Amino acid sequence: MRKIHFKIKRFDGNKEWYQDYQLAYEKGKTILWALTSIREQFDPTLVFTSACRHAICGSCGVKVNGSSYLACKTSLDEVLDTFKTDYLTFEPMGSFEVIKDLAVAWEPKMEKMEKVKPWLIPSVEGDVEGGFIQSEEDFHHIASPTDCILCGICASECNQLAVNDGTYLDPFILNRAYRFAVDSRDGSPEEHIRPVIENELWKCMHCMQCATSCPKGIPLTEQVAFLRQESIRMGEVNNQGAKHAFAFVNDVRTKGRLNETMLPIKTDGLFKTATTKVPFALRMIKKGKINPFHMPKAVEGIKGVQEIYKYAEEVENR
Amino acid sequence: MRYAFFPGCTLESAEEELMISTLKVAEALGIELIELKGWTCCGASHIQDVDDFLATSINARNIALGEELGVSKIITVCNTCTLMLRTAKDKLDRNDNLKTRVNESLRGTGMQYKGNTEVTHLLWMLIEEYGLENLRKKVVRPLTGLKVANFYGCHILMPPKIMGFENHRNPQSMEMVAEVLGAESVEFDQRLACCGFHSVFPAEKEVMGLTGMNTLSSKTSGADCLVTPCPLCQMQLDAYQPDAQKGFKEDITMPILHLPQLIGLALGLSPEELAIQRHVVDAIPMLRRSLQLV
Ligand code: FES
Repeated sequence: MRKIHFKIKRFDGNKEWYQDYQLAYEKGKTILWALTSIREQFDPTLVFTSACRHAICGSCGVKVNGSSYLACKTSLDEVLDTFKTDYLTFEPMGSFEVIKDLAVAWEPKMEKMEKVKPWLIPSVEGDVEGGFIQSEEDFHHIASPTDCILCGICASECNQLAVNDGTYLDPFILNRAYRFAVDSRDGSPEEHIRPVIENELWKCMHCMQCATSCPKGIPLTEQVAFLRQESIRMGEVNNQGAKHAFAFVNDVRTKGRLNETMLPIKTDGLFKTATTKVPFALRMIKKGKINPFHMPKAVEGIKGVQEIYKYAEEVENR
Repeated sequence: MRYAFFPGCTLESAEEELMISTLKVAEALGIELIELKGWTCCGASHIQDVDDFLATSINARNIALGEELGVSKIITVCNTCTLMLRTAKDKLDRNDNLKTRVNESLRGTGMQYKGNTEVTHLLWMLIEEYGLENLRKKVVRPLTGLKVANFYGCHILMPPKIMGFENHRNPQSMEMVAEVLGAESVEFDQRLACCGFHSVFPAEKEVMGLTGMNTLSSKTSGADCLVTPCPLCQMQLDAYQPDAQKGFKEDITMPILHLPQLIGLALGLSPEELAIQRHVVDAIPMLRRSLQLV
């Protein structure tokens, strides 16, 4: 009989260990079925959270072989096929404080989420008695971000959170800020966006993990792009992130290609570059990786490229 | 085999060794790469943060340059270039209204985006079209005894609805190529980690920590070198390695190779022909030792 081998990370509040369990293989089951079966058949002390079993409550996020999944939505067969093995390691989600075994703490995350004012700040057009009318088109702007079930899988996979001191906002928090900032009934989008800017918005590494792992398919990285565009519209351009992005925009406009030699100066300014980036620059020059005298020529067809910019500015962003 | 070639900005300057090694390997394999005339920067995952229409349009132009050549595919050797071009293509092919507006913006270029040319990465092309068995036949110096840590980089895998060549949670393409070349792939924790390159300026502290974790993890697993299909990962892990070392007590030293350099070694090219001497962390002593090169 085919057996599936589970190694589950345990934590009792003091010590951590891995514990092995085995289940007879059954076709067409979920990974939540595996956890539930282990608890019911072998070990009532195993702690994990779940409730709805229908990808609605968001309580069953877990890491399997290093990759985060919503346990009730994920087929065991799919996971076995992905890793080409009958040996699975279960661990709690990353970037969360662990309470016990696979159960993680949400309170600190909720406290952090309050920073972006995750509630509707009514516009003057609406009021409590008359209601807040929203057109169907405007509703569609918030339909996707409202799908978030707060499962935390985006945070578990976020590469910035994995190395951050905790200031950076979890992708689901950025999603909340976005969701209210684009809501036509909200009168103060800046009140949601300002805290995002103040909490390291430009540290997103653009790794695409959040958008990739979201069980609801919310385009979280597009939202980061939107929040950054909004920050620029709000005049927040004097920071490394925005300056770095503008260096690309401007180099493509003038030459078509990036001037790598000038990039640090455009991003950090001459002073910071001179004081912090000299060892880096010297080792690059020594290996012939940077030629400080190389000034790229404009690419063939640069006039056409500039016409694209003109169209984008005059027609699209009018 | 004939392809349009989109090199991307780093191949012209900091990562010129990838240009050199890619062209050498293509020649040795009988693959003709025609560099797109007048290609521009792909936006490098930054331009959309200022203006996404612009990001899509400049890449519509890049793809149109390839369409003009009448080849079936545009080849890239950079994960981020691949993602940027494929993202633009995906948007244009799914949204006629956007395509019309983008083509309007392309008027001054004298070209139109049609949507009949695919964008692929050299790694994918070798597996899908060239064939690993054909590659195996070209190996004259099997990399026996060389232990490689395959570092994929995010943008060759995600998001899968745009990249989708293989399962992003457990890809195998790099291991398949390494096996054909005779090298041994080691397992290491950071195989699918992010290099952090795209936020190295605003998140310097975090990214240096990540760089050290990445190279240290490959070292602990016994790798002789780390190999990546992306010049941006290579630059982050190699050129910034001395900076990252400052945050670690342990020695994190790890030579970082570009995928075409690894292939080139197995095809009998010398480290110098593949411009491996350009790396900040010297890989040549390790290669001489492991491959008994003179
Ligand atoms: S149990 Fe509710 S989302 Fe999985």
